[in-house]
Amino acid sequence: MSDTENKPSELNEIDIDAVYRESEIQDVLDRLDAELIGLVPVKTRIREIAALLLVDKLRRQLDLTAGNPSMHMSFTGNPGTGKTTVAMRMADILHRLGYVRQGHLVAVTRDDLVGQYIGHTAPKTREVLKKAMGGVLFIDEAYYLYKPENERDYGAESIEILLQVMENQRDDLVVILAGYKDRMDKFFESNPGMSSRIAHHIDFPNYNPPELVQIAKLMLAESSYRMSDEAEGVFAQYVVKRMEMPNFANARSIRNALDRARLRQANRLFNSRGRMLTKADLMTIEADDFMKSRIFSDGVDESAQDGE
Amino acid sequence: MITNPTGRLTQGQFSFLPDLTDEQISAQIKWALAHGWAVSIEYTDDPHPRNTYWEMFGLPMFDLKDPAAILMEVNEARKTFPDYYIRVMAFNSTRGVESPAMSFIVNRPTNEPGFGLSRQEGHGREIRYGFHSYAADKPEGERY
Amino acid sequence: MDNNGSGQITDAAERYKSGVIPYKKMGYWDADYVPKETDVIALFRLTPQPGVDPEEAAAAVAGESSTATWTVVWTDRLTAAELYRAKAYRVDLVPNTGPGTNIEAQYFAYIAYDLDLFEEGSIANLTASIIGNVFGFKAVKALRLEDMRLPVAYLKTFQGPATGIIVERERLDKFGRPILGATVKPKLGLSGRNYGRVVYEALKGGLDFTKDDENINSQPFMHWRDRFLYSMEAVNRATATTGEVKGHYLNVTAGTMEAIYERAEFAKSLGSVIVMIDLVIGYTAIQSMAKWARDNSMILHLHRAGHGTYTRQKNHGINFRVISKWMRMAGVDHIHAGTIVGKLEGDPNMVRGFYDILREPHNEVNLERGIFFDQPWASLKKVMPVASGGIHAGQMHQLVHYLGEDVVLQFGGGTIGHPMGVQAGATANRVALEAMIMARNEGRDYLNEGPKILDDAAKTCAPLRAALDTWKDITFNYASTDTPDFVPTTTGSI
Repeated sequence: MSDTENKPSELNEIDIDAVYRESEIQDVLDRLDAELIGLVPVKTRIREIAALLLVDKLRRQLDLTAGNPSMHMSFTGNPGTGKTTVAMRMADILHRLGYVRQGHLVAVTRDDLVGQYIGHTAPKTREVLKKAMGGVLFIDEAYYLYKPENERDYGAESIEILLQVMENQRDDLVVILAGYKDRMDKFFESNPGMSSRIAHHIDFPNYNPPELVQIAKLMLAESSYRMSDEAEGVFAQYVVKRMEMPNFANARSIRNALDRARLRQANRLFNSRGRMLTKADLMTIEADDFMKSRIFSDGVDESAQDGE
Repeated sequence: MITNPTGRLTQGQFSFLPDLTDEQISAQIKWALAHGWAVSIEYTDDPHPRNTYWEMFGLPMFDLKDPAAILMEVNEARKTFPDYYIRVMAFNSTRGVESPAMSFIVNRPTNEPGFGLSRQEGHGREIRYGFHSYAADKPEGERY
Repeated sequence: MDNNGSGQITDAAERYKSGVIPYKKMGYWDADYVPKETDVIALFRLTPQPGVDPEEAAAAVAGESSTATWTVVWTDRLTAAELYRAKAYRVDLVPNTGPGTNIEAQYFAYIAYDLDLFEEGSIANLTASIIGNVFGFKAVKALRLEDMRLPVAYLKTFQGPATGIIVERERLDKFGRPILGATVKPKLGLSGRNYGRVVYEALKGGLDFTKDDENINSQPFMHWRDRFLYSMEAVNRATATTGEVKGHYLNVTAGTMEAIYERAEFAKSLGSVIVMIDLVIGYTAIQSMAKWARDNSMILHLHRAGHGTYTRQKNHGINFRVISKWMRMAGVDHIHAGTIVGKLEGDPNMVRGFYDILREPHNEVNLERGIFFDQPWASLKKVMPVASGGIHAGQMHQLVHYLGEDVVLQFGGGTIGHPMGVQAGATANRVALEAMIMARNEGRDYLNEGPKILDDAAKTCAPLRAALDTWKDITFNYASTDTPDFVPTTTGSI
């Protein structure tokens, strides 16, 4: 019986570890862990997606074809929660597991896709799609593509083309739509076509204060700075106050705050001319460098633009 | 019909081989992209051997990473001009080259009527030759 | 005697005393000389007469190829003689010669010449100096000009190739693959009418060019006008039936320059894209034709007829790489430069060196390929090498691998000798070429998979099948005589 001849092949063992090692996927996941503080639910989802792709690859090796799974995603969350960074890593993972051929990320917004006059939008959108082929197209604040208040808005034309390519050329590129959670939800409600083509919805939570302090320390270390212990205590207070203010943008606000602290540190060192400076002086951000922030004196932040 | 062994216009790199599949076209485009060449698509209904300037189906495509992007345009061009000659070209901008590096036909009209040869006799058995495409007797757009 | 470190006599009265003194002492040897950027440098392989010091032999070559004569002349003192003297500055024993080997000692002698020793834009003048007298000189037993470094300042006085590879391709509308050609056979005896038949069949079958042979000029069996008229009828018929630009190298070689111009003008008036000359017409005639070709938008094909008399032997004559350099300066567009796999002399490394010289914008030193000098080409256009002689479709993978894309592959016997006829022979070659280029571009290991790629292509092309079966075992395995000095083992013909 031919069935019995085929049986052993179903029992053939396949070395999942080998495929895993070969894809060097652990590298990417490790880097994700090291570079991104917190975001536990996001990391979990990414692990799940990586596992899905890995198993899919194994199945393909045994000719168990099930068609390529759809990999289009939506990343929702407030500004500064790491969506772009994760998208870059995602492109890397998709590439290593053979889901996309080149693994590059093309990040765009409405302005890159939608034109100003008739006949302008299609070529613009196609141009962007062509650049993204073989990689990941990341559309930030994707809901701006759809403006229900204006019937003649060209955004709809762009969505139409995107949908076509997302459906027919799954092997050629992965689209990630990103933006605030509530607005994205509304966008998907009014564009069921788009919604049905998104396979993975990943929500990026806000960071809590200890995570934000961690992030700050990581950022400083990257540019050879550090906080004194006293400064760290002050910064923790700063973070709590800043989070209550408008336009708080998570990691982005932290980066801005650190930039301003560096400015103050430089000023402080400049004004202390007359004494010799050490390497440690040049590296250290002191409590004072945060205390001078207007957040502590006036209760307002210097930058109201963090969120934009 | 053209009477050479292929029965068709033999311009380009691969005219003596069977028509290229999409997969084969992609492989050729990949070769071009790997060299950093810009790829362009051109079409015509006047394939005279000295007709250098076929119409451009959009500008040459720079900075692309993946052949799928160009294949998409090839198929768009085929849809728009199903009965025209369409060729894929690659441009090498290296100093000392700065010229096309590839050129191959990816679409042809169903009927290729070929060219007539005209002879104008002169003194001493000298002849001036001219070619004209039978298809080009009709106005532009109605040739194939 | 008042000598400096090089043995040169520095006291003027002593130096110019009438009589005979060694060349070294006359100032033609200077071990400390550092060549200027504008110097022409020549590298000779010299075999001194027994008992002659190699440095003295090198100095003698420097002297005889520049200002010296056998005796001291007082008239030197009316000139800036120091400047005009060529300077031998380095002598190296050639590897694997001399003591301990069975070959008598040979030396590489480097000689530098001031730019003012040469007339601008004249190969005749350059060669009259460098190879004018010295090759018969008694102090050396044998002498070979191995390589030259031409300064940019001097190159800029030459026109260079009339058309060049890039413009030739643009005119022919042929990109991304070698050009295909064939020499009409038999070489001699065909009437004009019969001759044109071969041209027509080969071009219609898929070749880009056909070619007159080097010794087809205007003999009793076929006068030149008949050949031109019938060949151009064939070229134009083939163009009409393929829609592709075609050409035939009309050989305009003749007994006088006037006759050459007359034939070239006639070729032009018939609409030919290319004319052909033989190396034996001489350097000045070649330069004249290069200028004519540039002025008339014609491609200039050069057959290297006669070169084997002085390029082939390793110890005497001129290396073909030097001829390649001179011809790029003189301004030809095509030159036969070896096949590696065919019937004519050519070590693979040496041939690749010739191709580099003809095609690269800049040559770096590559001793394995026999390139001794760093040579920028000062934007002189690139010459298309022609591979001709004993090659066939079954070798296509090797030809593409060794010779690259910018080359004319010329299959004479491999087209005309095809069992199904000339047209089928041409088609077999074209299909083999296109299949190989396609495979290469697809990233396949086409050198090793070559035979399989050809077999696959032959499934839809009966003429290719027949060609592969007819010539499957034909190779020419003879050892080359002109081999590199700087590889551990010589590679031999493939």
